[in-house]
Amino acid sequence: MPSLADAQAGFARALAGDASALADLAVASGGDAATVAERIAIYRANGRANYRNALAATYPVVKRLTGAPFFDAAVDAFVEAHPPVAGDLNVYGESFAGFLAAYPPAATLPYLPDIARLEWAIDEASRAAEAPRMPDAVLAALAQVPANRLPAVRLRLDPSCRLTTSRFPALRIWRANQPDRDGREAIDLDEGGVALVVRRDAQGIAIEATGAGDHAWLVALSRGATLGDALDAVQAVDAAFDLGAALRAHIAAGTIAAVVDR
Amino acid sequence: MPTPSPGLPLAAGVGLRAPHVREVLARRPAVAWLEVHSENYFADGGTALAALDRLRADYPVSLHGVGLSLGSTDPLDREHVAKLKRLAARVEPGLVSEHLCWSGAGGRHFNDLLPLPYTEEALDHVCARVARVQDLLGREIAIENVSAYVAFAGASISEWEFVAAVVRRTGCRLLLDVNNVYVNAVNFGFDADAYIAAMPAAAVAELHLAGFTATGDCLVDTHGAPVAPPVWDLYARTVARLGPRPTLVEWDTDLPAFDVLEAEARTAARILEAHDALAC
Repeated sequence: MPSLADAQAGFARALAGDASALADLAVASGGDAATVAERIAIYRANGRANYRNALAATYPVVKRLTGAPFFDAAVDAFVEAHPPVAGDLNVYGESFAGFLAAYPPAATLPYLPDIARLEWAIDEASRAAEAPRMPDAVLAALAQVPANRLPAVRLRLDPSCRLTTSRFPALRIWRANQPDRDGREAIDLDEGGVALVVRRDAQGIAIEATGAGDHAWLVALSRGATLGDALDAVQAVDAAFDLGAALRAHIAAGTIAAVVDR
Repeated sequence: MPTPSPGLPLAAGVGLRAPHVREVLARRPAVAWLEVHSENYFADGGTALAALDRLRADYPVSLHGVGLSLGSTDPLDREHVAKLKRLAARVEPGLVSEHLCWSGAGGRHFNDLLPLPYTEEALDHVCARVARVQDLLGREIAIENVSAYVAFAGASISEWEFVAAVVRRTGCRLLLDVNNVYVNAVNFGFDADAYIAAMPAAAVAELHLAGFTATGDCLVDTHGAPVAPPVWDLYARTVARLGPRPTLVEWDTDLPAFDVLEAEARTAARILEAHDALAC
């Protein structure tokens, strides 16, 4: 009998399709090598089904856009390329968008990785930490900061806030492929891109399109930039960016959750 | 010493899966208790966790882990254990259970419940891990016997002796899955009643029931069908032998309407009650 570590490594090789690893395994009722191979195939099929189901729960629109056979094959290839390393399947699949971007069969659907990115953002937002929604308190805290200190202030975004962009109308595509829609809406892929803010609110997940300036500013804030540095980052994207309007809008919506320091 | 579990009601419960949460919240069906997969509530926050909080106010809850990889020789995932501990503190479950299996090797996780080789080395290893997990959690856990389709050729201990030895050596509780005993008895040609008879009755904190799917000469533990008649029979004999225990009906693939699970739980409840009537 091999050591426990070798036995588990051998079983893992058998699951990966290595026929020479079947020798240490048995079916006690007297099954031969062919029976062991059949039984290992049951484990392999169970595993494939688990991953297909787990990623279908995270990426329902990608599955709807591609159809189940394409989606299942893509998941199988993804698991080979990015094998799971942890026991919680709820947080597996972050790199699916990047995988799809380089997956040759998906090359005719150039917007697909952006839809996957949006669905991962929704998934992360749905399981992020709770934070109190106190827009009035945030505004009051900001009002107390002396004008000359404002550029040094940092703002914290709501823990559920995720920022994503696409050069395609990703939000229209996503909405047209929700369960209550027939998915037949004609969408012009060249109508222009979107910058999206995804976060959780009292009703569930909120997805809003923002201007490129607002988006660049929120991205800078999410990375811990001071108000001054975030403003500098926006100038390159949107010279007409209105800081006062952005502050009011994103504090009122709950995207900006707190004034961190002064 | 880990804190003992408060335990579950001596009645039939139902495994709660995400598609049923909304209905159960709205209708509050008359099931005695609920069991959830721990990992599905490992999030920092969000709607799923909030729903579990609301359900916990009305139902006893059992936390059932599917991803800890208790018997693996890979390092114990401390972050996983920490999330389970955080969840248990929030939910105050009647029982925390894990599978007597392994799920990963060499850093790769298979997210499946794979059988251990039943050897002295594996017994020493898994006992140390159960003790470590109970230590880290600061509470007692129950371990569950798993279904299997292959075994290791060099095993030196029977599965039932192995399961009983882990319980005896670590002082943990046992979640005895009656369907898994039946499935393995068919797949490996042993006597299911002899297995049940070898279980340490005092340690059995919960029983599981589920449906299997027959594939050729192999029974596959799909949790995708009603509990099979011979499993109901084995369950009745288990209750007669070990005494009545909190019993859970599980269903995972091709999930039916919740009232189908309620009906399965009522069947289990009738068997528990019939035993009580006999005992009086």
